[in-house]
Amino acid sequence: MNSSNQKKRNFQIEAFKHKVVVDPKYADKTWKILEHAITEIYNHNASGLSFEELYRNAYNMVLHKFGEKLYSGLVGTMTLHLQEMAKTIEAAQGNLFLEELNRKWNDHNKALQMIRDILMYMDRTFIPSNRKTPVHELGLNLWRDNVIHSSKIQTRLLDTLLELIQKERTGEIINRGLMRNIIKMLMDLGSSVYQEDFEKHFLEVSADFYRAESQDFIECCDCGDYLKKAERRLNEEIERVSLYLDSKSETKITNVVEKEMIASHMLRLVHMDNSGLVNMLIDDKYEDLGRMYNLFRRVPNGLPTIRDVMTSHLRETGKQLVTDAEKLKDPVEFVQCLLNEKDKYDKIINLAFSNDKTFQNALNSSFEYFINLNPRSPEFISLFVDEKLRKGLKGVSEEDVETILDKVMMLFRYLQEKDVFEKYYKQHLAKRLLSGKTVSDDAERSLIVKLKTECGYQFTSKLEGMFTDMKTSQDTMQGFYAAYAAELGDSPTLVVQVLTTGSWPTQPSITCNLPAEMSALCEKFRSYYLGTHTGRRLSWQTNMGTADLKAIFGKGQKHELNVSTYQMCVLMLFNSADRLSYKEIEQATEIPSSDLRRCLQSLACVKGKNVLRKEPMSKDIGEEDAFFVNDKFASKFYKVKIGTVVAQKESEPEKQETRQRVEEDRKPQIEAAIVRIMKSRRVLDHNNIIAEVTKQLQSRFLANPGEIKKRIESLIERDFLERDSSDRRLYRYLA
Amino acid sequence: MGIQKDRVRFNVGGKIFDTSATTLANAGRNSLFGAMFDENWDLQSGHSTTEHFIDRNPDYFAVLLDLLRTGELYLPSNMSEKQLYREALFYGILDHVRSAKWGPFDGNRLRLARSVTGRAPGDGTAIRAGPDGGCCVAHGSMVHVYDWMLEVHPPINLDYQRVNDAGWIDPESIVISACERFGTGDGGMGLFSASTGERRYKFHVSHENQVKSYTAGALSFSPDYKLFSSCKGRSNEYGIGVWDQVTGKQIDFFYEPPGWSLGEADKLQWLHGNNCLLVATLFPRKDNCYIGLLDFRDKSMPWSWSDVGAPITDEKRVRDAIAMEESSSVCVVNEYEDLGFMDLRRAAGSVRWSSRSRLMKGKMPDEPCYPKLALHEGQLFSSMNDSISVFCGQDWVLTSRLRRTYGGSICDFSIGGDRLFALHSEENVFDIWETPSPPII
Repeated sequence: MNSSNQKKRNFQIEAFKHKVVVDPKYADKTWKILEHAITEIYNHNASGLSFEELYRNAYNMVLHKFGEKLYSGLVGTMTLHLQEMAKTIEAAQGNLFLEELNRKWNDHNKALQMIRDILMYMDRTFIPSNRKTPVHELGLNLWRDNVIHSSKIQTRLLDTLLELIQKERTGEIINRGLMRNIIKMLMDLGSSVYQEDFEKHFLEVSADFYRAESQDFIECCDCGDYLKKAERRLNEEIERVSLYLDSKSETKITNVVEKEMIASHMLRLVHMDNSGLVNMLIDDKYEDLGRMYNLFRRVPNGLPTIRDVMTSHLRETGKQLVTDAEKLKDPVEFVQCLLNEKDKYDKIINLAFSNDKTFQNALNSSFEYFINLNPRSPEFISLFVDEKLRKGLKGVSEEDVETILDKVMMLFRYLQEKDVFEKYYKQHLAKRLLSGKTVSDDAERSLIVKLKTECGYQFTSKLEGMFTDMKTSQDTMQGFYAAYAAELGDSPTLVVQVLTTGSWPTQPSITCNLPAEMSALCEKFRSYYLGTHTGRRLSWQTNMGTADLKAIFGKGQKHELNVSTYQMCVLMLFNSADRLSYKEIEQATEIPSSDLRRCLQSLACVKGKNVLRKEPMSKDIGEEDAFFVNDKFASKFYKVKIGTVVAQKESEPEKQETRQRVEEDRKPQIEAAIVRIMKSRRVLDHNNIIAEVTKQLQSRFLANPGEIKKRIESLIERDFLERDSSDRRLYRYLA
Repeated sequence: MGIQKDRVRFNVGGKIFDTSATTLANAGRNSLFGAMFDENWDLQSGHSTTEHFIDRNPDYFAVLLDLLRTGELYLPSNMSEKQLYREALFYGILDHVRSAKWGPFDGNRLRLARSVTGRAPGDGTAIRAGPDGGCCVAHGSMVHVYDWMLEVHPPINLDYQRVNDAGWIDPESIVISACERFGTGDGGMGLFSASTGERRYKFHVSHENQVKSYTAGALSFSPDYKLFSSCKGRSNEYGIGVWDQVTGKQIDFFYEPPGWSLGEADKLQWLHGNNCLLVATLFPRKDNCYIGLLDFRDKSMPWSWSDVGAPITDEKRVRDAIAMEESSSVCVVNEYEDLGFMDLRRAAGSVRWSSRSRLMKGKMPDEPCYPKLALHEGQLFSSMNDSISVFCGQDWVLTSRLRRTYGGSICDFSIGGDRLFALHSEENVFDIWETPSPPII
């Protein structure tokens, strides 16, 4: 078909069409019918209408190209009816206003549905291709423009709604169903209508309300009460949204409440006298703390505020605790206090702060801060363990033991100077093992496993060596007695523990003179041991041994005395003498004088244990003193344990010594770290070396930068490192 | 619907029909029947024996009533399809007619429903199926739009520039891309109404806040309302542009990296699972083939393949490519309709050619058309000369072949709205293939 032909035909069709619509008034007449029907629908008078006829008329108008007339007619008619409705609504008095508005809205919706039914064909064909607003949407828009936005309704509607909400906030009962219908209408008209005509103002009024109310509350309530009130208000608003507002309003209105009631008064609440956060923490007010946490988490900076106050309070109380002179007297009590404090806050964080990780971190960093304020914390923690493992765990179930050990490990984790702890722990463990005082081997080993997982193999290898020595010694002794059984006869029983040098805390050992029968026995053991182990050297640690002696006193009282090796040496002298002077004892035994004094003090000056008598009868031991066997010694026990007067805590010089040893031990570790780092980096500047070394060693101790510098210099002297010739801050590794 | 008695009597144009309210309920609320029996209109009050008069043709009413009763459409041969559609539109049940007319798409059950002869001169460029069963056909500078009833709508054009590609955003909107006219800023890309052919807006390309004229090539659409097009600007602004379908605003641009080709791409395919765009530039537009996946988030090309440097024989030359997300592979085809595959999970290696598909060897027609590929719900389609092959299964076995002798080679085809449209190159004819509704038992 060619194009001119096509044109011709098109022309003909148009001409033909014009002829068909003979009645020029056809469109007007049809529209009159439809217009009448619309009026009847609005007047609740539709039962007389024929749906089929109306549908067909609307169809015909569109079909015959009168769609535009139909559409504009609809707009006009509907506008008129809505203006009528608006007048009725305006006339409604007082409370009836909302009800009338709701009634008319329902009427309009019903009418709109019916009108859309009639005009369905237009809605389906004419409207999309002419990009007009569909009938339903058109009806909503017209309602909005002619009713909701009419000058006499718009502000009255808003005022009424806000007034009702205000009434409900002050405790009055309102018609929530009606409220929901009206709000729903605003939402149906489009989210912008809801927001502009209601929500915006609602939020402003609410902000004013809560600003004033929170001001009242904060003047007359304590912190806990205030938080309760704020929580209730917040829940009320959330409930209001669910009952009759758009769900999207929830975050907006809760933001208003949060800002006015919480964010604006945050600091004042936290620091409130006698009821603020610190008081809640002191008094373990889990419920109030939980409420504060849940409310503050909703506002920016809320949780950091709580956390900061908690941290500074914790640091302050912790600092007092670790520097309290009273507490320092009893290491076990000291550590128990730390553990109690930790338990208290763990519980608070668990119950009130929903196990918030950031709070746990704050707690940990606070503990780390104040535990290390006291340089004796490592020692005390080790003493605590010592106490527990000596006797504290008797009759305690295995799980409880684990719990206690775990808690100790937690404190251990906070220590910066873990190597100092290790030193003390080794000393205390050595004493426990040698004196046979440890209660539970399992508990000991369990703790060592924990230390190992925490700090690695290196940390515990020596501790494990100590356990091995104990075991080997048992076997050795069995071997010894099996070999010499016949020869030994009824000489005293000797128990030797062979300790590997290096595994045990070293003590400067000055061997004392043992009684003759003992030293003979010792020689036998030495030859047995060296006979089975070649290339070894044995030296006697007489300062660490113990002895059980049978003694018969003047009136025939028999006792078994449990004493130290030194004490044994002294007492054995009295088998052959009644009176001995201090000088004589010192010469005979060659016990170091400080040890001897303590030894004599414990034998002569402790009430109830004084197996010796001294002249003059003073508390202190003098060079000129004389000693006798106390014939009148009496005790209701057969076995008497004579303790040595030892300070459980270290004395000041001992402390210094331990400290020094720790410092010495650190040197090779620092050097090793420097060499490891330089080996991989080859060239590094001073600050970075310090940083890396500190990082590598921090699991064991906090390296002192000055000490690191000294170690670097020592390494330079020994040609491990050199300074860069052009940049003096750079170090170079020399392979 | 508030009907007390189920029985309903109609008098349609003088003929009495008895039916039930349940049957009528199948028409839905947005139909004449739905409105008529809504309680608002209260047509049953008391006199249930009253017949409802409808002033329409009873013969077509009978066909439509049967459709409501059975869900199937049967039109006696002496009746007009067009008139049926008009009646259905009157009753508001045209959608029912459409969905009864053909069944859910299955490449192995297709039958030729109709061939439509167009009147545009010039070679066919592209045919694109619409989402509701319509299609648009590009010839030269014109795009003709057909609705699902295959009624032709006013044609659309972009300043009468040569059209490169077209695509549907929704049943009412079509995007066409066209060449630019030298120096005038014409051409580019525009969005058009499918029913009236009016242009709603043009898609602009800006570089450094300056609007540039450009030639738009291949198109692709993503489900999150993005539109992609290959763009060739005059001052070396080659690359892939990204626009928002709703606002028409340009939101991104991927510049062509050196040694690669994007701006003249023949094919774009949005891969939603990978969040990537497949871009293929192929022979003969370029001497070499370039296939790559673009990631717009970090402007990277996570996967790419090219035959630069490889010995070129016709058998190895890729003529079309399509990504198959389910098997993480790319399928390519050479000019003998051999299929080849590449793995998207591995850095591009060589094409694994499948010898199974060697079907065309030696039988080349006088005027060959290069093969094209399409993928639809696990079925792979490939057009070659005058037929379309359907491949199924994991190994892509040839299962069906669609062929018509009339119209010459197939230059393009497209699947959508449960229909397959094939455009022929020698005559201005396109075929519509449909799946018949399922058998009665």
